[in-house]
Amino acid sequence: MRTSILRATPMAIGAWFAASACGADFSTPLQPDRVQKVETLPAKYPTTWAWLNYAGDRIELRNVGSDSREVKAQLQARDSATLLVADKRPEVYVADTVWSRGTRGTRTDFITIYDTHTLNPIGEIVLPGGKRGLITAQEGMVTFTDDQRMAVVFNFTPASSVTIVDLINRKVLGDVEIPGCSLVYPTGARGFSTLCSSGNLLSVQLDAKGAVAGRSETKAFNPLDTDPLFTASTLVGGVRYFPSLHGRVQPVDMRGDEAKVLADWSLVTAADLEGQWRPSGWQIVAGDEQKLLYVLMQQGAHEGTHKDPANEVWVFNTVNKTRVKRLRLVRPGSSISLTHGAEPLLLVQAGERLDVYDSREGALIRSMDLPGLHTRLQIEPLR
Amino acid sequence: MAQFDLLTEKMLRGFASRTSRRNVFSVLGGFLAGAAALPLLPVARAEGPEANGSDPNSGVPAPRYSGNPQDPGDATKCDYWRYCAIDGSLCSCYGGTVTSCPPGTEMSPITWIGTCSNPVDKRNYIISYNDCCGGVPWGRCACQNNQGDRPLVRPSNNNEITWCFGTKSQSYTCTVSLILGVAIDQK
Repeated sequence: MRTSILRATPMAIGAWFAASACGADFSTPLQPDRVQKVETLPAKYPTTWAWLNYAGDRIELRNVGSDSREVKAQLQARDSATLLVADKRPEVYVADTVWSRGTRGTRTDFITIYDTHTLNPIGEIVLPGGKRGLITAQEGMVTFTDDQRMAVVFNFTPASSVTIVDLINRKVLGDVEIPGCSLVYPTGARGFSTLCSSGNLLSVQLDAKGAVAGRSETKAFNPLDTDPLFTASTLVGGVRYFPSLHGRVQPVDMRGDEAKVLADWSLVTAADLEGQWRPSGWQIVAGDEQKLLYVLMQQGAHEGTHKDPANEVWVFNTVNKTRVKRLRLVRPGSSISLTHGAEPLLLVQAGERLDVYDSREGALIRSMDLPGLHTRLQIEPLR
Repeated sequence: MAQFDLLTEKMLRGFASRTSRRNVFSVLGGFLAGAAALPLLPVARAEGPEANGSDPNSGVPAPRYSGNPQDPGDATKCDYWRYCAIDGSLCSCYGGTVTSCPPGTEMSPITWIGTCSNPVDKRNYIISYNDCCGGVPWGRCACQNNQGDRPLVRPSNNNEITWCFGTKSQSYTCTVSLILGVAIDQK
């Protein structure tokens, strides 16, 4: 690369000025750098880092808790890649799909196992049948169960099923058909629940070999024609909360083998309804250890705006089911998450930005770029 | 050559003697007005980039119109009426059209559907959003409209799924928007 005189002159003046100011004579040269140096990461990451999944096309690890704002690492992601971050052992899992000739050829669905310290791939589990759901990366496409010893992968062909994977022994245990149902949420000691098109929830219990040990269905509670639940949810106090398109929130207790549907409640008052406030965005909900529920809310909502960026985050006390504060965002946000710890940071994806807020006061602390984010961001905070 | 010059001079002098200066401007003005009006005509818009008045230095492909006044709008823009529930890349920007896939790809026969209102004839149409598969996706003309989109629990109304089923490759390229018919309550 040639450097023009116009560009070189200020650089030279700057270097001379710096040298003069310091009084340094630079009598010894810089030492040669060691070659083949590769960075490593701590085996357990700080809770002020977060995984950012660019709609399944790219995954990066970012320091969101420091003004350095640096990218710590990246993981390969090709198509609808989804991430599982273990806290029981130093491993990260990515479920992905590739074709042998780029966009054509033999399809392979697989889970890659990465060592968290080196981020080297240390194992792989091929998922048979070419049936993993190719859907914008989101919650519910893959989940842990059995205390993180197993993974449950959602398949869509468009027939629905799941593949049960043994993560310890790196092998597929089998498939379970879930006709008419979508996505998976961990349930009980070893099992999962899935949302079904008849408005109910199917819970499946597994034995130690990954075979079906029991099934149970709730009554229909999800009014798909009038006010369906978003499939995005968050855990607060062990209970999973699903907001609805029109502003209810539906708690479901999945701690036992059979999911229990609890009483729903409204996120909006009569005055809010007049302003047409509704939940809106992509990853629209987050929860913290103080049993607070954070929901992205949009004013003037109507049919077709449920994935639009929202201007505010409303915070609810899930114990007395009341709103405790409203946080006005500096830029409309589409996905939110909270870091874990005593002073959680509120992470808000707003276009090609990740804004970091103080979750208590709602003040913007810092903002970082998300270059090349064309669609959705799935944020995975660290424990 | 001298005879040609003489003939040209004779013609021009004859034209000048029969035509006033005001008359010349009125004729020219008529042409100019006509030229300005041409891009507003749907037929002219269908003729291609040169005829539709778009800036050739804009750097982006020129608008693409159907040429049918009952099917208005630019098929390379997200606000074209058929795209009311689309989430993906427009095939009109990849070598395909509103209704056809780009060369080298394959159209999925299994799709999701939406209902879009035609702003001209005021009818609601059932639109099939067929994905084109096996090509190269890279984000040109990416649109996200969610009219009638529903959570994944109802897959046939969900636009986040890659609808590449029954195709050799399930790798997503772009989406077309086919009219299946008028919504039943509008017939």
